[in-house]
Amino acid sequence: MYCLRSLLIPLLCALIFTSNLSQPAQAADLETALSGLAEKSFKTRLKAVDDIAATQDERASEILDALGRGDLFVANPGKHIVMPDPAASGAYLFAATGESAGSYAKAAVKKVKINNRMRSAIRKALGTLTLGSPDRNRRLTAARSIFNTRDASALTLLSDAIARETDSTVKREMERARAAALLGSDAEESEKLAAIDVIAPMANQDALALLTQVMSNDSGAVAQRAERAIAEMQSSLALWATAQNVVYGISLGSVLLLAAIGLAITFGVMGVINMAHGEMVMIGAYVTFVVQDVIRTSMPDLFDWSLLIALPLAFGVTALIGIAMERGIIRFLYGRPLETLLATWGVSLILQQAVRSIFGPNNRLVGNPSWMSGSLELGQLTLTYNRICIIAFTLVVFAALFVAMRKTSFGLQMRAVVQNRQMSAAMGIRTKWVDALTFGLGSGIAGLAGVAISQIDNVGPNLGQSYIIDSFMVVVFGGVGNLWGTLVGAMTLGVANKFLEPYSGAVLAKILVLVFIILFIQKRPKGLFALKGRGAEA
Amino acid sequence: MITRMLIRSLDKGSYWFLGLLALIALLVPILHLLLPPESALHVPGYAVALMGKYLCYGLLALSVDLVWGYCGILSLGHGAFFALGGYAMGMYLMRQIGDRGVYANPELPDFMVFLNWSELPWYWYGFDSFAFALAMVVLAPGILAFVFGWLAFRSRVTGVYLSIITQALTYALMLAFFRNEMGFGGNNGLTDFKDILGFSLQSDSTRTALFAASAIAVGLGYILCRLITRSRAGMVLAAIRDAESRTRFLGYRVEHYKLMVFVVSACLAGVAGALYVPQVGIINPGEFAPANSIEIVIAVAVGGRGTLIGAVLGAVLISYAKTWFTGELPELWLFALGGLFVAVTLFLPKGIAGFLLARWQAFAERKTAPGTAVATNEGAAQ
Amino acid sequence: MSKLNLLRKGIGAAVVGAALLSTSAVVSAEETIKVGVLHSLSGTMAISETTLKDVMLMLVEQQNAKGGLLGKKLEAVVVDPASDWPLFAEKARELIEKEKVAAVFGAWTSVSRKSVLPVFEELNSLLFYPVQYEGEESSKNVFYTGAAPNQQAIPAVDYLMSEEGGEVKRWVLAGTDYVYPRTTNKILESYLKSKGVADEDIMINYTPFGHSDWQTIVSDIKKFGSAGKKTAVVSTINGDANVPFYKELGNQGIAAEDIPVVAFSVGEEELAGLDTKPLVGHLAAWNYFQSVEAPINESFVEEWKAFIGDDKRVTNDPMEAHFIGFNMWAAAVEKAGTTDPDAVGDAIIGVTAPNLSGGYSAMMPNHHITKPVLIGEIQEDGQFEIVWETPGMVVGDAWSDYLAGSADLISDWRKPMACGNFNTKTGKCGGSGS
Repeated sequence: MYCLRSLLIPLLCALIFTSNLSQPAQAADLETALSGLAEKSFKTRLKAVDDIAATQDERASEILDALGRGDLFVANPGKHIVMPDPAASGAYLFAATGESAGSYAKAAVKKVKINNRMRSAIRKALGTLTLGSPDRNRRLTAARSIFNTRDASALTLLSDAIARETDSTVKREMERARAAALLGSDAEESEKLAAIDVIAPMANQDALALLTQVMSNDSGAVAQRAERAIAEMQSSLALWATAQNVVYGISLGSVLLLAAIGLAITFGVMGVINMAHGEMVMIGAYVTFVVQDVIRTSMPDLFDWSLLIALPLAFGVTALIGIAMERGIIRFLYGRPLETLLATWGVSLILQQAVRSIFGPNNRLVGNPSWMSGSLELGQLTLTYNRICIIAFTLVVFAALFVAMRKTSFGLQMRAVVQNRQMSAAMGIRTKWVDALTFGLGSGIAGLAGVAISQIDNVGPNLGQSYIIDSFMVVVFGGVGNLWGTLVGAMTLGVANKFLEPYSGAVLAKILVLVFIILFIQKRPKGLFALKGRGAEA
Repeated sequence: MITRMLIRSLDKGSYWFLGLLALIALLVPILHLLLPPESALHVPGYAVALMGKYLCYGLLALSVDLVWGYCGILSLGHGAFFALGGYAMGMYLMRQIGDRGVYANPELPDFMVFLNWSELPWYWYGFDSFAFALAMVVLAPGILAFVFGWLAFRSRVTGVYLSIITQALTYALMLAFFRNEMGFGGNNGLTDFKDILGFSLQSDSTRTALFAASAIAVGLGYILCRLITRSRAGMVLAAIRDAESRTRFLGYRVEHYKLMVFVVSACLAGVAGALYVPQVGIINPGEFAPANSIEIVIAVAVGGRGTLIGAVLGAVLISYAKTWFTGELPELWLFALGGLFVAVTLFLPKGIAGFLLARWQAFAERKTAPGTAVATNEGAAQ
Repeated sequence: MSKLNLLRKGIGAAVVGAALLSTSAVVSAEETIKVGVLHSLSGTMAISETTLKDVMLMLVEQQNAKGGLLGKKLEAVVVDPASDWPLFAEKARELIEKEKVAAVFGAWTSVSRKSVLPVFEELNSLLFYPVQYEGEESSKNVFYTGAAPNQQAIPAVDYLMSEEGGEVKRWVLAGTDYVYPRTTNKILESYLKSKGVADEDIMINYTPFGHSDWQTIVSDIKKFGSAGKKTAVVSTINGDANVPFYKELGNQGIAAEDIPVVAFSVGEEELAGLDTKPLVGHLAAWNYFQSVEAPINESFVEEWKAFIGDDKRVTNDPMEAHFIGFNMWAAAVEKAGTTDPDAVGDAIIGVTAPNLSGGYSAMMPNHHITKPVLIGEIQEDGQFEIVWETPGMVVGDAWSDYLAGSADLISDWRKPMACGNFNTKTGKCGGSGS
């Protein structure tokens, strides 16, 4: 029954199209078609979308675009379909003609509601309407969208477009779209076989979906050929899936690393069990929120820069809180590491509640700047931009920290104080300041992590709690006091988690990783990269 | 001989403490059951349940103090042992419901019925017997502690590493118990208990009996801890706490001592959990949350690490503070709790008990000042 | 609460002290009817429950402005169970025994309800529970003003299977691993199979609480959805895990036209913490949306914004449930002429109260209420556009017809039956009897 319908609908559509194509397009048709949009039922409005597309009017694509964006309104009285005039706020244009409709009060216009079915219809219609667009990218999108909708009625249009096309990428996409459309039609067997040959080298999920459908709908040679192509694709896809797991693992690992790296300093280097570390991450995220909030209200143009602005601020704020914590509490507790745990736990409770009192208990909205939205297709790998940015950012922070520790005089002093406090003091290092600054550095980096994590996770008072345990695991697993250990530890745990997940499910994967850490510590009680020598025993 | 050991291990403070516990165990039931509700001295039902809960935390704190205060093992996962004991008791109580559940299935608890379990998983067998459940209350945490401790102490995992992996342990258990496939009711845990040993859990007398049992358990737990810490083994434990390597070089099998005290402590925590569950009426994986374990460690620190009495005191005090603040000043309670932790670590490093003890000693010294002062001077002179 | 207020309260408390506070409560007990508010104000659930506490304060204030109840003023007693389940039971006991409240409005998670349930039954007090839940429960002392699965999950699936919803043939049931998603998915699985959906067209996936790394699962969904059949995701993912889930969906480019996600736990409050641009068109099923066009809703939203003093705050479904529940309780108290739990419990059955979508909800004998079911699509402004609604009211069903254990059970708290789990096969009160 399903296959019957899926064959019938394109056929019907094709009929409507061809019948309309024979007539010259007129504004009056468009007007009639548009009037359907003012109706209450979704069904009528859905038909209106098809009707608008069928007029082949040059305004149709613009109108459908506006409808998809939610920029089409019904203006009363008169039930005119209007769209906002970009030139003046409050003013509208008649959708059908593009002429000014004057201005309407806000209550007099009502947005034309659309639902998912209408959205797909709009996408499909735009696919055929924009095939001839002068804009290369629009043609590309159109071709891809026809590939997905497998709209058999677009075959003639596609053939024309392919003949005209000069850009090789677009041409290839169009040929694929044509092949997809062919496979969805009742074309000759030989044509279909040729189409499968066009599709087969794509070897991605979309192609796989298409061929699977072909396999179940057709029979005979076509189905066999599709089956063979699918088998080939699947082996290549399995390989890609492994690669994808590695990438996901590295991406998870870099989030872990980012969250843990500040702890590697406060806990790893200074020996302070800083339970408030997670709250530093949280504060970093809230700084991002405040920065975006200010930008939204006062200078919306800067929104894409909001993260870059937030970074130094988050670092500064959390570093200052860290220094205050060190001066106010932790310096009295050196040599009693377990007591720092208690005091910092108290601080973490206070910070959490403070944030809750100031910003409320709800999650706050932190947006992705446009350059961090969407994803990159690399072969069969889907890399979302925000993950790529986070991986890159983590590596930069790690490298910067590494250089700071190894190459600067502050880094030298820091390491000296950690190794032998008295001796360092005797050499004229102001150990107290070094302590405070080191703690500030660790906290500041946690703040930076917060900026990054705000892009992928909730920004709420509990944000820190969800990272603190994982962070400790990473530092302990990697080996306390060793930055490389933290790096390797985070990546190992991330990748291990992602490889386990498909087999065991997310919950069990996490449990298994924890059990693995517990057992690993038995084997190497000081972690992956243990400090050796005198400094190790403490 | 046992009496001699007892007498030797208990000091004046102990007698006061045990006396106080006995008094509470007697007085509260009397005040609750015999006095009419209008009476000013009447202890209302919710207060009995509440105090019973505090005492369970007290027992848990005692078990933490035993390993932390006397052996230097900071466990951030004692909540796991507590919860395991609680689950063992909860499973018994669940089986006691019998066919009074909403689906009236005589065999399966409700949560298994509506998730389409057809038969009882093997690990639920035996829990219809109270004796078996009691054994599991001690054994389940004990065995876990034995395995975990045997691995950890043998490979000399110490200090913060140990603390962090105990935290990993309880965290992993929490995630595991959250899974519905485990057959422990997932996030909803075990609840809607009806009766224990045939006595309705909703009745006042059962509640007071449970309360008295908790008080007695704290008393017995305290005596046990005193016995251990004042024995020869206890001295070795303190030596391990203060200088582990040296003790090892002296020829003591450090890991054996640590393992022994860790297992005993886990069993105590299990008992605390088992008493806790029938009084609060629910056990859910939330009890495994690392925050709970940290909170109890902090309670020990607040009360006074290595003083046993202080640990109980700290736990009761913090639980009371939580009750009070969450009732009267909901928005402020995390500030107060956090502030308390910071203040205690900074200003009362020995906890409340340590502070009081120091004051008391100073006071006692002043009272007998002339004589002792001379004596110490003479001692110094010689 | 503002910072200043908080500070003042703190200083006040320090000065006055515990003793005075408790005596002042005793003095006022004579003249007021107390209403308990049992919602977490700290811990993990504070994010959802704090709002409900504020709604209750507003409703009590409004009722007092109308002259209170039975000639007395109402007084809200707020406590903080701190997202700690045993503390829920403790606080419930405190509210009933110590504060002597007439009824309690509260709880969010199923476990918190399960935790307090024995307390309410023992002390015979009333609880109004405002959140959608898994069903399979009917207590004499609890009134379920949120949706049962048949008031949310099943209509949502019906919609997606309809022509208008896109004729979905392939289903991903994704949820957080706890009892509500487990039960809902069990019900849906059995319902879908009864509609002829094959085993291989259903994918079930569970994740831990607060799960934040959705890369693998989202790409699995994408893969599952590219089998050539129209696919939809039915999400019972809990609160906090939703934000990273939707962020990942948006970034991996899963548009609502391709694979719509219909969520049962995502409302206006959750969307407020999200950039909704990439999510436009994804769905949610509730019994109320802030965008409902009804005069009563408009005034409610306005009053709420004024009460909370923030123009950006939103309203959501559990808030409406409290609105209905509170008004039903008030009406029942007036009808019974007393706040006695037994009398109110008897009187409330059959009571109707206006809901915010312009109709009237009635309390049914099974302690569930009648509600319309609405399907909304997420819009760019963080609101929902209603695209479908049930033609009439749907009666909440305590016992699902699609679960083996409960298909024969019904609940009717009217006398003489007065039974929460009456078995229609055996004719006995008290479960299956097998």
